[in-house]
Amino acid sequence: MRGALASGRRLGTLAGLFGLCVLLWALTPHFLTVANLLNVLEQTAINAVIAAGMTFVIVSGGIDLSVGSLVAVAGVVLAAALHRSMPIAVALAASLGVGVGFGLLNGVAITWGRLPPFIATLGMMSIARGCALLFTEGRPVSGFDPAFRSVATAKLAAIPAPVFVTVGVYLLAHFVLSATRFGRYVYSMGGNEEATRLSGVNVRLHKTLVYGVSGLASAVAAVLLTARLNSAQPIAGIMYELDAIAATVIGGTSLMGGEGGLGGTIIGALIMGVLRNGLNLLGVSSFVQQIVIGLVIVVAVLIDTMLKSRKT
Amino acid sequence: MDKRQRVMSCLTLCAVIAIAGACNREAARGTGGGKPRVALVMKTLNNPFFIDMQRGAEQAAKDLNVDLVVQAAERETDVERQMQIVENLIQAHVGALALTPSGSREVVPVVGKANQANIPVVIVDTRLDQKAAADAGVKTASFVGSDNYKGGQIIGGYLVKVSNGKARVAVLEGIPGHETGDSRVRGFRDAIKGAPGVTIVASQPANWERDQGFNVFQNILQAHPDVDTVFACNDIMGLGAIEAIAAANKSGQIRVLGFDAIDDARKAITDGRMAATVAQYPDEMGRAAIEAAVKAMKGEPVPADIGVRIGLITKDNAARESDRK
Repeated sequence: MRGALASGRRLGTLAGLFGLCVLLWALTPHFLTVANLLNVLEQTAINAVIAAGMTFVIVSGGIDLSVGSLVAVAGVVLAAALHRSMPIAVALAASLGVGVGFGLLNGVAITWGRLPPFIATLGMMSIARGCALLFTEGRPVSGFDPAFRSVATAKLAAIPAPVFVTVGVYLLAHFVLSATRFGRYVYSMGGNEEATRLSGVNVRLHKTLVYGVSGLASAVAAVLLTARLNSAQPIAGIMYELDAIAATVIGGTSLMGGEGGLGGTIIGALIMGVLRNGLNLLGVSSFVQQIVIGLVIVVAVLIDTMLKSRKT
Repeated sequence: MDKRQRVMSCLTLCAVIAIAGACNREAARGTGGGKPRVALVMKTLNNPFFIDMQRGAEQAAKDLNVDLVVQAAERETDVERQMQIVENLIQAHVGALALTPSGSREVVPVVGKANQANIPVVIVDTRLDQKAAADAGVKTASFVGSDNYKGGQIIGGYLVKVSNGKARVAVLEGIPGHETGDSRVRGFRDAIKGAPGVTIVASQPANWERDQGFNVFQNILQAHPDVDTVFACNDIMGLGAIEAIAAANKSGQIRVLGFDAIDDARKAITDGRMAATVAQYPDEMGRAAIEAAVKAMKGEPVPADIGVRIGLITKDNAARESDRK
């Protein structure tokens, strides 16, 4: 039954995305062009990748407010490694390692430290930001080898590389969440943590790993962002956590945990990307844009809760 | 259930977009008809400096009979979002683009994209990083702005004069790595070099923001209670510092120097809460930027560097109308 509900909800958000596209197609001739659609996909990549990790966390019944700061810290580590002329593979490994490491620290604070996820990751948001600022003395680190930048700038059959990265991340993440034992535990911890523990699952370990996954996703996003801007800024990613949470929630993943999935999240991220793109194309005032985006988030969750209350 | 939800989602999104569209007459009119379209992309809209710039740009657009789209990121720090806005405007085929970079190096790639789309770019207020631009081979039609280095020198020279060469200064910097703030601080430091009695005891970034100006200066006051002057690289941070001074019951004891001459700062100077600021004329910047953008769009020659005047504002001239827009 959960499956049926989840896929129904996903159809709903998919229909929303479709409706949005039709509307923009009607309003502006610049929306439905191949170049613009590829542009939207490219712009959505960073938020989508962070949101993939966020989906694991929220399905497990938690929240991760530190992702924006993790993007910054993973980005500056990557940039520093590249500037010390380390091989690209080593720099990438260092960056992903830092992301996973900070994420696991979140997990440890939440499981062994028994801190609420909101508090633990709020603390980490500040700690990781401070580390990024300290590490760079507050200055951006910029200018990289074109070989590294190709992760953001290369194109295959006109499709920008970040789109392939995003697709790869989602395929892998979807497999892990829906077809592995770890994935089943993530749902089950979010649905009923106590029952999961009583059934013999090592909740502490698996919950800690969930935050590691989120840190990993943030680091992948940091790689894309650094390559895209040709610069790693210690102040990068401020408030990215809110965009990632919004994409996840618009995609139908419940903040109460135990429900949702990556199919919804990618649609949620696309809705946000299309919305921002469309509002820019229409030349809507920046102030109005914020109102519109806020309304979409609230209404999406409103529909979600209304559905749920009717179901029970 | 599915059907109802599908319908609801669609309706909601449609309603929201339709409202947004209705809020904007340009959108309703469509972009196909007549007037050429130019865009002004600013750092943010939550700073009166950029609101003034927008006003000047709108006036110029009206005079030149072009459509103007003004966009900005929610946060001045969000250069990735600014990049997205520029990419989207490239897709909307604007005729020319005026851009105040949120990051001197970080926007270079997207200026390159505008180059590829043959959309002329006029850089406003904050210069592109010369080296990054040269490395990427990007071209800009013009730079419109005032000389921030010179502004820093002007206010530094003023401090040396009024303090008789003796001051203990705290500096509130902008976002690290921003060319604008860096130039102002450099100009300021160079101007006080000749006065050994004027020393900078603390220099900290407050990221251009008022609340951070308040907090950072409050902290500096704890560490250096003998500070007698604060130089804020923009008025907004300076106004934050003024509140921190008031909270510490030190009003009147600390000289506040700002930059930008926004209305609130002029008022603070008239009231005696601020000593001086440097007037930039953002409305003239906005106007000159749009004029240059339109010229570039028409293929007419545009000077590579368009200077906008800059001047010291003190109690003597803070309220005088001739110094105002």
